[in-house]
Amino acid sequence: MLRNHKKESLVALLLISPFLAIYGLIFVYPTIDMFFLSFQKAPLIGDGKWIGIDNYTRLERDRRFDTAMWNTAYFVALSVVPGTLIALFISIGVYRLSGRIQSLVLALFFLPYILPVSVVYRIWDWTLNFQFGIGMYLFDWLAMDRIPIFKVTGWFMPAVAFVTIWWTAGFSILLFLAGLRAIPAEIYEASALDNSSRWQTFRRITWPLLWPVTALVLTIQLILQLKIFDQVYLFSVGGRPNDNLVMVYYIFQRAFVNNDGGRAAAIAVVLFIIVVVVSVLNFQLLKFAERK
Amino acid sequence: MKSFKKFSITSALLLGLSTAAYAEEKVVWWDFLGGGDGVRMKQLISEFNTANAGEVSIDATTLEWGVPFYTKVQTSVAVGEAPDIMTYHASRIPLAVEQNVLDEITPADWDAMGLSSNDFAEQIWDGVTGPDGKIYGVPLDTHPIVLYYNKDVLEAAGQLNPDGTPKGMGSREEFTNMLKAIADSGSVKFPLGSVTADGNFMFRTIYSLVGQQNGELMTDGEFLAGDNAEKLTNALSVLQEWTTSGLQSTYTDYPATVALFTSGEAAMMINGVWEVPTMTDLHAGGKLFEWGAVELPVIFDKPATYSDSHVFAIPKGSATDPAKRAAVLKVMAGILNESLFWATAGHIPANNSVTNSAEYKSMEPNATYSTLTANMIYDPKTPLAGVAGPIFDVMSTHFVPTLNGELDPAEAVAYIKEDLNDM
Amino acid sequence: MYFFNAQKVNLIAGAITILTVLIAIIWAFPIYWGIVSSLKPEDEVVRPYIELWPDTLTFQHYWFALTETQIGRWYWNSIVTSLGVTVLTVATSMFAGYAISQLNFPFRRALYWLILASFMVPTQVLIINHFVLVADMGLINTWAGIILPQLISPVVIIVYKQFFDQVPKDFREAAVMDNASELRILFKVYIPMNWGVTTALSIVTFIWAWNSFLWPFLAVTKTEMMTITVGITQVNDAFGVYYARQLSAAVLAGFPVALAYLLFQRRVTEAITLSAGIKG
Repeated sequence: MLRNHKKESLVALLLISPFLAIYGLIFVYPTIDMFFLSFQKAPLIGDGKWIGIDNYTRLERDRRFDTAMWNTAYFVALSVVPGTLIALFISIGVYRLSGRIQSLVLALFFLPYILPVSVVYRIWDWTLNFQFGIGMYLFDWLAMDRIPIFKVTGWFMPAVAFVTIWWTAGFSILLFLAGLRAIPAEIYEASALDNSSRWQTFRRITWPLLWPVTALVLTIQLILQLKIFDQVYLFSVGGRPNDNLVMVYYIFQRAFVNNDGGRAAAIAVVLFIIVVVVSVLNFQLLKFAERK
Repeated sequence: MKSFKKFSITSALLLGLSTAAYAEEKVVWWDFLGGGDGVRMKQLISEFNTANAGEVSIDATTLEWGVPFYTKVQTSVAVGEAPDIMTYHASRIPLAVEQNVLDEITPADWDAMGLSSNDFAEQIWDGVTGPDGKIYGVPLDTHPIVLYYNKDVLEAAGQLNPDGTPKGMGSREEFTNMLKAIADSGSVKFPLGSVTADGNFMFRTIYSLVGQQNGELMTDGEFLAGDNAEKLTNALSVLQEWTTSGLQSTYTDYPATVALFTSGEAAMMINGVWEVPTMTDLHAGGKLFEWGAVELPVIFDKPATYSDSHVFAIPKGSATDPAKRAAVLKVMAGILNESLFWATAGHIPANNSVTNSAEYKSMEPNATYSTLTANMIYDPKTPLAGVAGPIFDVMSTHFVPTLNGELDPAEAVAYIKEDLNDM
Repeated sequence: MYFFNAQKVNLIAGAITILTVLIAIIWAFPIYWGIVSSLKPEDEVVRPYIELWPDTLTFQHYWFALTETQIGRWYWNSIVTSLGVTVLTVATSMFAGYAISQLNFPFRRALYWLILASFMVPTQVLIINHFVLVADMGLINTWAGIILPQLISPVVIIVYKQFFDQVPKDFREAAVMDNASELRILFKVYIPMNWGVTTALSIVTFIWAWNSFLWPFLAVTKTEMMTITVGITQVNDAFGVYYARQLSAAVLAGFPVALAYLLFQRRVTEAITLSAGIKG
């Protein structure tokens, strides 16, 4: 079968040109632009002048940058692994159900994921409202002092992590469920003959077989939470934004509140590099763990 | 085909012209008035629209006060999508001029509105004058903070003077004792309600207390020079003391603080004058106790109350078209004419003719607290000051933990000094 | 012994089931609580005890939100922009995915790797440059401005590529023998065979676009151009304590996507597992 290469290339070009055009305009160009901007002193809109690596060297003594880095790392630690584990155990529970009940239960866990972040914010801001929130009764029940959760530094990040896990677990649960369903029933039957306990079955069979999915969920969650902004911004309004900064929030602040495009771009580049490095490391690490 | 084209163009033109002649000038308005005064302003806007129907119409939106508002203004001016008119804080004018977000209110504009510097107090006029000598705002009011109090509760606790004012207003000891007496009477949750969850807000109280010690935030470009750092520490200490001894509400945000007072759970409240209409309306509806509002107690050496000023401003690049400009000026003049009504929103009108009038002088509770006008202090005039400005930001971050007992006042002041000098 | 073991197993199994169901109910409770609170009058909402069902059921807040605020416009903005993002993303990805999958052209592999690589780039870092770009194009406060930067979706194109790869070669060969053009093959063979994928991806892209916050938040300064996700957090129409009112606006904002999910549950689930499969 002869293929007219020239014609094929032409048609291909036609088909990919809309995609390329958009991609070039909103991905390639801005990325390059971001790098250039980071070497300038410029307002958000308008021309700037070249100042070399000044914006980067400033980051060293920048306290807010430190705060943003630490908060982001803290947040990732609070949400990625716990979130994955919670989703895993819930999915095991859901897996054991069947029929209508399983559908219903799955829908209940997944529903939060469907909601926009602002709706999630409103719901939790209300539930944990210091004066009137129903969540406060929990403190009463535990005989603790009621706490205005989003205004106290120590509680803020854990609370936002908690809300984030609530919001996004549904996604992970779905993936774990798919993974669990992919494990052939014969394997379980074989182990049942051994009379092994639930925990042993889990450790020796389920966990290893589920590992690819677990790795996937961990990766997705890790990359996702490094880029967090929405919830942190919304829950900080009226509170203490400078204490609660995360990387993307700091970028936003420098660019849109302080009108300093150059400095903001430098921070953006740093975050970019961090995400890329983490992605690659993560990929390698998981491959390594898998081989073990 | 050609004649049809000609016909449609001509008719479109005619239609356009005719509608242009009767076009209502729409004035896009942004404000941040979300307190009790917002209700009054909405009324003023609606009355203006009715009175000027067909000619000028205000299309108003209320946005979130503070950083969100000013960030939006800044970005929208940068992209040419700013409103035609907006409310602004006088304290922020130096910063705004530096950021190039405001348009000058020219002498011609003032003529068109029939107003001049003679209509305003010197300090207010100074407040709207930029570093270049040009005028950037049309003053609407000044708004200090006052002490609201529940007359019924205070009376029951024996803390009310015969003339209906609270007793312990003369010194730190007196006031603290009064708070204790109210606490002991057991009738309330908190003797004093303050917005301790919002450092932005507490800036006003704290600044007042610093002013009461004759302290300054900035001296010749230096922050907290000399013993001013100590004075700030004093102010924070007093407030922290009240909170940790249960005399002041902890971690209450704005709506919660108001709710505490109106429900009777807090006997007193330090808040801006703009909640006066909330109280008046509730009282008129039979839903509130007997209440009053007075100047802040003198905790330190002399009376002083922080105040800022609302002004109308025109974003740079907006209202350049003469018809639009005229409409905007008409709106400003129109609202200013109703300053007496605006006074029912609790604010002190900027317009002299209003404040000198008999009707204003007899208005309550305004008359009771108007004594503070002699003791008002304002933000320093620097691009670093003002609502949502850099100083504001730094202060508010460190105030909240301090006020609620999490951070030692001296430590907090050290951090503040560090951050301020970082800028 | 055997019998005893089986009983023990059943007991634990039962316990796990009950536990799971219980956790699910608690999990979804805040959503229920938000909805219930929005149906109470304001003074009931702040009562100092728990009422799991309104004493006085009222729709006044919804009525207020729909008539006195700009929610109607916000809905419209959300619908237009979400549809815009969905249609444009799916269409361009479909075409490009087909080309990469079925056609031979220079730099084909390179393009594929570029797209895979773009997974790693957090679009959040591009907000500054997106803003400047859209502003320079004069598209701030326009639908196009909201839509444009949201068209980056490497997942969709890669899913299409993988599915197109799996279509048996005979179909294509037969069509080529009939002298069909590539476009014809795409539209008459490949797309109809992957209709399920298209539907799934469209629904998920729509939901994602509806829910996006950061970009629409930055791209719009005029309240009447806001999407509903952004609008409910930006405008302060209420004075004083109006929790129920805010919650009703939130419910209105989340309702359409929740409905879309409940109606198309299977498709959404499918799409999620599909798109995740790529990243593995």
